[in-house]
Amino acid sequence: MKLKGHTQPRDFKAINPWQRLLVLAMVTFTIAPFAPLVIQSLAFRWAWPNILPTVWWHEQRGLSPLPLAWDYVFSSSSRVAEATANTLGIGIAVTLLCLVVCLPAARVLAQSNFRGKSQLEFLIVLPLLLPEAAIGIALLMIFIGLGLAGTYVGVIIVHLIPTIPYMVRMLTAVYQGHGTEAEDHARVLGASRSQVFFQVTLPMILPGVIAGCLFTFLVSTNLFLLTFFIGQGEIITLPTLLFAKISGGALNATGAGIALIASLPGIILLFFTDRFIRSYPLAT
Amino acid sequence: MPKPYKAHTAITGPLARRQTLRDLAQVLPLFVVLFFLFGGAVVLAVLQSFGYAPWFGINEFPSTHYYERLWLSADFWLSLGYTLYYAIAATLIGLVISIPLSIALCARFKASRIFSALIRLPLMVPYSVGIALALVMLGNGGLLSRFSAFIGWIDDPAQFPLILRTHWGWGIIAVYVWKQVPFMTLALAAVLVRKGDDTHEAALVLGATSSQIFWRVTLPQIMPGIVSASLICFAFNIGAFEAPFILGGGYPDTLPVLAWRYFQDANYAFQLQGMAVVVSLALVSGLILSLYLLAYRRYERARGRV
Repeated sequence: MKLKGHTQPRDFKAINPWQRLLVLAMVTFTIAPFAPLVIQSLAFRWAWPNILPTVWWHEQRGLSPLPLAWDYVFSSSSRVAEATANTLGIGIAVTLLCLVVCLPAARVLAQSNFRGKSQLEFLIVLPLLLPEAAIGIALLMIFIGLGLAGTYVGVIIVHLIPTIPYMVRMLTAVYQGHGTEAEDHARVLGASRSQVFFQVTLPMILPGVIAGCLFTFLVSTNLFLLTFFIGQGEIITLPTLLFAKISGGALNATGAGIALIASLPGIILLFFTDRFIRSYPLAT
Repeated sequence: MPKPYKAHTAITGPLARRQTLRDLAQVLPLFVVLFFLFGGAVVLAVLQSFGYAPWFGINEFPSTHYYERLWLSADFWLSLGYTLYYAIAATLIGLVISIPLSIALCARFKASRIFSALIRLPLMVPYSVGIALALVMLGNGGLLSRFSAFIGWIDDPAQFPLILRTHWGWGIIAVYVWKQVPFMTLALAAVLVRKGDDTHEAALVLGATSSQIFWRVTLPQIMPGIVSASLICFAFNIGAFEAPFILGGGYPDTLPVLAWRYFQDANYAFQLQGMAVVVSLALVSGLILSLYLLAYRRYERARGRV
């Protein structure tokens, strides 16, 4: 990622005024809408046309120790805890399963040529190109028949569909970047297959594997449509809970609270994984 | 313990076959998962849309009845039009924003890391969060409406121009753009970083103006990134459900919402109609994507790159 020629990062003014305007406008467009969301979740009374709430929560803390929205969000009747546990649990299961399925296949795709390779590669990107609603509704029929609709197993399996293309792409790029010399040396020196994998290959590809896992986890935790269709309302995750809250077309204080909770996994990953997510090979 | 020479003689007969078998075994899980999930879904969807559903006591296979009813209704074409309009408009606006944005962020100024991290936030949160933001910003009681009242444009929420729940779909498009600009920007930035600065500098040295550099050097170079990012976003938009469901203008809905409504109908027979909608959607999407790829291939061939 190092740029040739420029050793010193330049000032923000290094880009021209139009570019500065564009960057600032897009940051505003991206981040600013979160402000009213936070305000709404802390407001006590916020009627039109006031730009800020007329009564804030802390002015009424005698009535409730927590902001009303957060009091509800943290209570068991909002099902936020259940949805969070489901979201994280499903995300972890999907990530591990996806890794187990994709890691060996990515090695083969990166290192050998075989008949039908390009067809297989097409099959792998197909989930990104077919409308998600079409896949979801068609699979729902099959899963109802198999008794998988509304179960964790069904939801986890269906989450593989949008995650596999990214995982395979990222892992294939990682394998391609490393070649096979180190493994060949280890084999020549008499290492067994499992020794080669765990002591040579895995340490080399680990950063890429972690990046792939984080991205897969993220895709899974943000997935709405397939969870909604296959989960049949039995399995609630943060995105489906939020959808149920706002599907009427209005957003109240508790909806704002749930929206903030639903953004938390992404925000945390954004701060802690900057260097991992930075260079994932989306555009290969 | 394996003999050392095996690693380099693995090209001969039986060993080569063993390697091939091992490769095959390693690809197999992925193939099985994709083939059964997709193959099963596609076969079943097509069968059902042609009237095969013995579990509901319906078996009129092969009947084109459901397609006829669908394709002969004017509302279907209206739905298709809305679906395509939202998907194409959002993809185009997203591209127009993210191409200059990725170029600006690749200039590596001091704060570019912070800015690119901030801009990446929508990529990390669910679509429904974007919809919640659209409701709180763009709704008639939302923040923009309050600001309009503040500066004296309107004095009643009802006077605020309808942004959500219209067939113009401003809200839907805004959510798609908000969510997809980071994705496109990242994809394009990856291509920009890989191509490096050399050609750009060479053009500069040879006296090209900055607009010439953009149109003749940078844009052709990032074209593969533009195509793949816009393909993925378009395909997603055309099959998206929650944004048109919540922010859309109601009947006639976009095709995914229409399919879902058929599917939720108390009358089971409507599920077959829903399947016809789903298959039509997949066909239209496939057709447009192949035409797009074909056009791109012609472009590349004209430039002598393929």
